[in-house]
Amino acid sequence: MTPLDYALFTLLAPLGVAVVLALWNGLRQTGKLAAWISVATALLSAFAAAKLLGAHAANEPLGGLSIPWLIHGDLQSASPLRGSIIELGVRLDGVSVSMLMVVTFVAACVQLFSLGYMADESDADYGRYFTWQSLFLFAMNSLVLAPNLLQLFLGWELVGLVSYLLIGFYYKKPSAARAAVKAFWVTKFADIGLLLGLIVLFVDTGTFAWSVPVPHAEWVAGLLFFAVMGKSAQFPLHIWLPDAMEGPTPVSALLHAATMVAAGVFLVVRASPLFVQAPDVGTLMVYVGSFTALFAAVIAVTQNDIKKVLAYSTCSQLGYMVAALGAGNIVGGFFHLTTHAFFKALLFLAAGSFIHAVHSNDIRHMGGLLKPMKVSGWTFIIGAAALAGLPGFAGFFSKDLILEGMFEAGHLLPLIALIVAAGLTAFYMGRVVFIALLGEPSMHAHEHHPHPAPPVMQAPLIALAVPALLLGFGGPTMAAWYGQIYSFHLGAVGITASAMALAGLAGAWFMFGPKQGGAGLKSAFEPGGRLAASGAVDRAWIGAYKAILLTLASAIGWFDRYVIDGLINVVGETTLRLGQALRPLQNGNVQHYLYAVALGLLALGTFGMFAQ
Amino acid sequence: MTLSAWLVLGAGLFCIGVYGILTRRNAIGLLASVEVMANAVNLLLVAFGRYHGTGDGQVFALFTTALTVTEAAVGLALVILLYRSRKGILVDSAAELRG
Repeated sequence: MTPLDYALFTLLAPLGVAVVLALWNGLRQTGKLAAWISVATALLSAFAAAKLLGAHAANEPLGGLSIPWLIHGDLQSASPLRGSIIELGVRLDGVSVSMLMVVTFVAACVQLFSLGYMADESDADYGRYFTWQSLFLFAMNSLVLAPNLLQLFLGWELVGLVSYLLIGFYYKKPSAARAAVKAFWVTKFADIGLLLGLIVLFVDTGTFAWSVPVPHAEWVAGLLFFAVMGKSAQFPLHIWLPDAMEGPTPVSALLHAATMVAAGVFLVVRASPLFVQAPDVGTLMVYVGSFTALFAAVIAVTQNDIKKVLAYSTCSQLGYMVAALGAGNIVGGFFHLTTHAFFKALLFLAAGSFIHAVHSNDIRHMGGLLKPMKVSGWTFIIGAAALAGLPGFAGFFSKDLILEGMFEAGHLLPLIALIVAAGLTAFYMGRVVFIALLGEPSMHAHEHHPHPAPPVMQAPLIALAVPALLLGFGGPTMAAWYGQIYSFHLGAVGITASAMALAGLAGAWFMFGPKQGGAGLKSAFEPGGRLAASGAVDRAWIGAYKAILLTLASAIGWFDRYVIDGLINVVGETTLRLGQALRPLQNGNVQHYLYAVALGLLALGTFGMFAQ
Repeated sequence: MTLSAWLVLGAGLFCIGVYGILTRRNAIGLLASVEVMANAVNLLLVAFGRYHGTGDGQVFALFTTALTVTEAAVGLALVILLYRSRKGILVDSAAELRG
């Protein structure tokens, strides 16, 4: 099989499974069988992606595929804006191959984990869950392998749809249904930017290519970045991501931590030749990203719901990536995307196994879980260490690369924000670990007798822990694929960030470890918690919605009611009045008609005589 | 007699017929006025036929006479119907199509 065949397998096999399961009710409603078909496909896809990655690492020619889809304009024309062929297909290079590996690997782990996690669902729901999972794998792969922005747009919308379906998986629960609608609305609102950006790009250049000189590059990049802010949950469009935690935990791991939310970052990586042409948008990205990183980290400190902590942490880490990309540090952003995908998926899945064991999301209901749940507990600690950026773990290297890049680009204020956020990251992850895993068992946890997760849930955790430990050393290889040289060296920035992380961890140990010190400090976090609980950003959006959209709507409504309807009423009234005025002419008397005929003839005759 | 004399006589008869149609309210009067107009035309047909020295005009006149008879028959039938529904034959009484 050629590399292209492997790539096509990762696209078409999940699509086939999703279509078959969606259309064949009998098979889907068997539950177990449908799930195993989906899981087997995901595992084979991960295997195919690994073969593809191996081929790329061995410098084999990868090939590609492009099928002409739309032909636009005149291909023979000599003008620079002559017609172009818009293609669907597969583009294989370092970025897409490594992203494909991340997506299929995490998806396979998550699907395997879901076999255990979702086992309590009814057969029909179980089958439905895996149908959407397969559809997601196809959608995400088509986005990753897209040869142009138009195909990426198709995949982008499709993953948004699956996100909606999976957040609302427990659709009988009102809060889940609301969260699904909210996520859909917010991301669709942001996607207006993507659509408009594509239109501007197409009008400018006549193509949807990744790298073309664009006259209105600032516009295109700015509009695309707006969509990225929605998809990758950047302030102030991050509001949907914490609510999206209403979905099943494996869904949060796959869609709302590892892959789908990273699609925005992936878009910027892919379209980096375009973003390079818009330095102002890059600066905006640096500030939005670093602010989000700090803002979300502050809120994460105050959350007691383990999934909410991880959700805000995801916002924060995506902020790192966006800031890095804005500073032109493409390798750093993409490297952090890959490491983050693994350790954040790991954290969510491990958190899922805790939730499964104690039937609560609240870390205060957990406590001392490391003892009964060794595998889940230790893998969670590995993931937390990677996220906190403790030296040697995966997150350390990628975060260091971002911070170094930020330092070299001379963005000092964002750099400080990101370093502080790194300290807070270590602090809130330490807090979760000390309370949920190491602390005294809570009454709640005691009642549920936590027991180790079944093997089908432990295996994915172990599989994900390996890259969380080791992937940091893959940075130079990845940079080389991108045509850059990167060798790790610990500079002043890296030392500062590591010191911040260790200080954060020490602070967490001091406050939430066995000593339970610093009670006064805890109240210092309350404003952040209140900010998150009050939903100030949500209310700002609602206010803006009322102020802008409703005002606009009422203005348009006024115009419609009084101008458009007015014109129509004038026409109607005139016709009616004219009819009334002319009514007496038709008096039903034959002789009057005859008079009219005679007079008419006379007039015609007279006219005829004088006209000659 | 010259042709023009016949033409004047025909035009005069026709005008009498038109006057009758426009002023009479009696349905039978209307029918009679139509007959006068038709026969004015008949007269002209015959006069032109003789003027050109051919038989065409007379043939046409015969056709017109036959047509006028049928038209009068239909018209009288309508008058009878009108009388039955209105107890009268004034055309003013049938003005249902007034707007």
